[in-house]
Amino acid sequence: MYRKPARARRWAIATLSAIALTAVAACGGNDGSGGSGDGSGSADKADLTWSFWVGGTEDVAAWQKVADQATTDHAGITVKLQGTDWDSYWSKIGTLLASGKAPCIIGMQSLRTTSYASAMLPLDDLMSKYGLKTEDFDKPIMDGLKVDGKQIAIPYDSGPMVIFYNRDLFKAAGVAEPKPGWTMDEFTAAARKLTAGGKTGLVTRPGDLGVTSWVRTMTGAEPLADGKLNLTDGKFVEGFTKYADFVKTDKIAPQVPGGNPDFETQQFVAGKAAMQLNGPWSLIDTKGKVKFQLGIAPIPAGPDGSKTYTAGSGFGISRSCKTPDAAFQAIMSMTSEKPLTTLAAAGRAYPARIAAHPAWFTAAGIDGAKETIDYASENSVPLVTSKNWVQVSDLLTRFGVQALNGEIPPEQALQTIQDQAGAGS
Amino acid sequence: MSTAQTTTVAPPAGRPSGGRPVGRRPALRKDGRYAGVFLAPSLVGLALFTLFPTAMALGISLFDWPVFGERKFLGIENYTHLLNDPVFRRVVLNTTLFVVLYVPLNVVVSLGLAVWLGPKIRGRQAFRVLFFIPVMTPMVANVMVWRLLFQPGGLIDGGMQSWFGVNAPNFLGSSNWAMPAVVAMSVWQGFGYNFLVFSAALDQVPQSQLESAQIDGAGPLQRFRYVTWPMITPSIFFATTMTLITSFQVFAQPFILTQGGPGVATQTIVMYVYNQGWQFLTMGLASAAGWVLFVIIMGITAIQFFGQKRWVHYDV
Repeated sequence: MYRKPARARRWAIATLSAIALTAVAACGGNDGSGGSGDGSGSADKADLTWSFWVGGTEDVAAWQKVADQATTDHAGITVKLQGTDWDSYWSKIGTLLASGKAPCIIGMQSLRTTSYASAMLPLDDLMSKYGLKTEDFDKPIMDGLKVDGKQIAIPYDSGPMVIFYNRDLFKAAGVAEPKPGWTMDEFTAAARKLTAGGKTGLVTRPGDLGVTSWVRTMTGAEPLADGKLNLTDGKFVEGFTKYADFVKTDKIAPQVPGGNPDFETQQFVAGKAAMQLNGPWSLIDTKGKVKFQLGIAPIPAGPDGSKTYTAGSGFGISRSCKTPDAAFQAIMSMTSEKPLTTLAAAGRAYPARIAAHPAWFTAAGIDGAKETIDYASENSVPLVTSKNWVQVSDLLTRFGVQALNGEIPPEQALQTIQDQAGAGS
Repeated sequence: MSTAQTTTVAPPAGRPSGGRPVGRRPALRKDGRYAGVFLAPSLVGLALFTLFPTAMALGISLFDWPVFGERKFLGIENYTHLLNDPVFRRVVLNTTLFVVLYVPLNVVVSLGLAVWLGPKIRGRQAFRVLFFIPVMTPMVANVMVWRLLFQPGGLIDGGMQSWFGVNAPNFLGSSNWAMPAVVAMSVWQGFGYNFLVFSAALDQVPQSQLESAQIDGAGPLQRFRYVTWPMITPSIFFATTMTLITSFQVFAQPFILTQGGPGVATQTIVMYVYNQGWQFLTMGLASAAGWVLFVIIMGITAIQFFGQKRWVHYDV
């Protein structure tokens, strides 16, 4: 009537084994057929999913309209947006790409392209097949979405890093407004004069694009050499030291808190700092928030002129997509003139497609914006990143804060980052 | 009567105390089966979502396991890397520092307020609700408010500039101030839970015993030390054990308040695991760090359980 202990043990072992096997199966990824559940169909007929970062329901509606352009252009193709907030997006997409279950269309930021490239389909053959003209897009961001010479994504937005400035504060301090070609000396003099009465000339936080742009314009140094992290290079250390001096020695920018990624924008929008380095993708949003006249200018010129970096984002195709042709046609539609012009006119990010620029400048309504961004674009290159750039960027902010606040020497900060992340780059 | 009761449940002569009574064996087995049925959902959940991932993490920790790319068996190399990594050593130190500062402060504040809000205080229930509000409020909202207090140009800095003409320390940007700032915010946010546990325990202390002690001449401190304290030690043990475990796992407060910075001054072990696993996609190293934390917590909890015999009174 009652099971013997040995039999009970066998049952227990069998049950636990079943649980373990179920769990293993659940974690085991796809069946090896090489495909995701997404994107079934042909070149002209497919139901696709598009994974992308979004900021809220309004954002979802705006981007779904972009996705619907694919159906307008190709009756058999539908694209469904699968939105995730920025912070969760990268861990989620990493897991999906690694498991082979990623959606066909993937939102990709230029700074992270190298990290995810191995799970993405190179688009060069599809670009030739469907006649996508690269010259219709800003060159720096087309190049920024390449890895080892292969196009990984087609851009929808782009932008060189530029100076946002508070025209009212400049006027009140009697400082001439910056123009394309202004120099580092002119910038420092202006920032010193603007630093008074609890306000500062500049606000900065050591993010990857900001730090590298300042270093590039001051010394021309790049963060990578032959694809490997090279932060301890003498020129880079020199540029980073000068950058840290904005806070540490010159005191033209306030001390930096540890954990507030929005610190720069908060200080600038509140009128507590007269300048910040930012991307055009934030310009129209910032203009809507500030209660002063907003101006933009190129990054000041160092010994070899004004030099900055461009970043942006686009759409690529996961390697596991079963219908890359349909996905590429959808991406061509989503990055075509009509949706990008609509987005530009609505005041969203600076479009990567040249034909959509006028709509964006009209929506921005800022004097000199076109002149500045055109000048900055001509003097910018894409920020080429390493495979472990997320780690590099994290460390740059961590130890950069300490260097700016004068807690550790700038060269020590860079050495620590190089030691931590150099091997993995 | 008590003798009769004792006789019915006492083990038969010749069997060691606590042994299974032979006559009740089938009934107990039946109970055991029913217990098994009722426990099965929890056990399956435990096996699937705790035991299996824990074992899997141990396996992964022995590999170079990138999310993309080939996996390579490393043996204990991830563990030796962690031990030799100055950043990880600092991260362990940070976590220990947080625990050492946070746990006593939390217990002292929550117990102090629970004792202060004794039965004679008016509006006691309102205070209880008030003190529990930070526990119920989403952590992100709490941290955002504290960030606005602490950051340069924030409320504290602005106030000090207005009143004294000097800047406040850069609480979130200074290695010396960042950890105390995280601890202060955490104590404010977390003491409400233990406060409720201690309040409930204090309510269970018989008034008659306290009055007897008072009649015998015991002052307030003596009554607390020799009557109240022994009777609430089980609750204090529970609260310290749980607080210790959760504080070793601290993540949200430093993650949102300082992002572990400046440098790695406030980075904790769980943040390190999160960064390695989900930001840098190096699962092997993340799993190894997770196991280091697991062993630390298991060891400290075991010490607490063994040590409780010396100071926890279940028989009063």
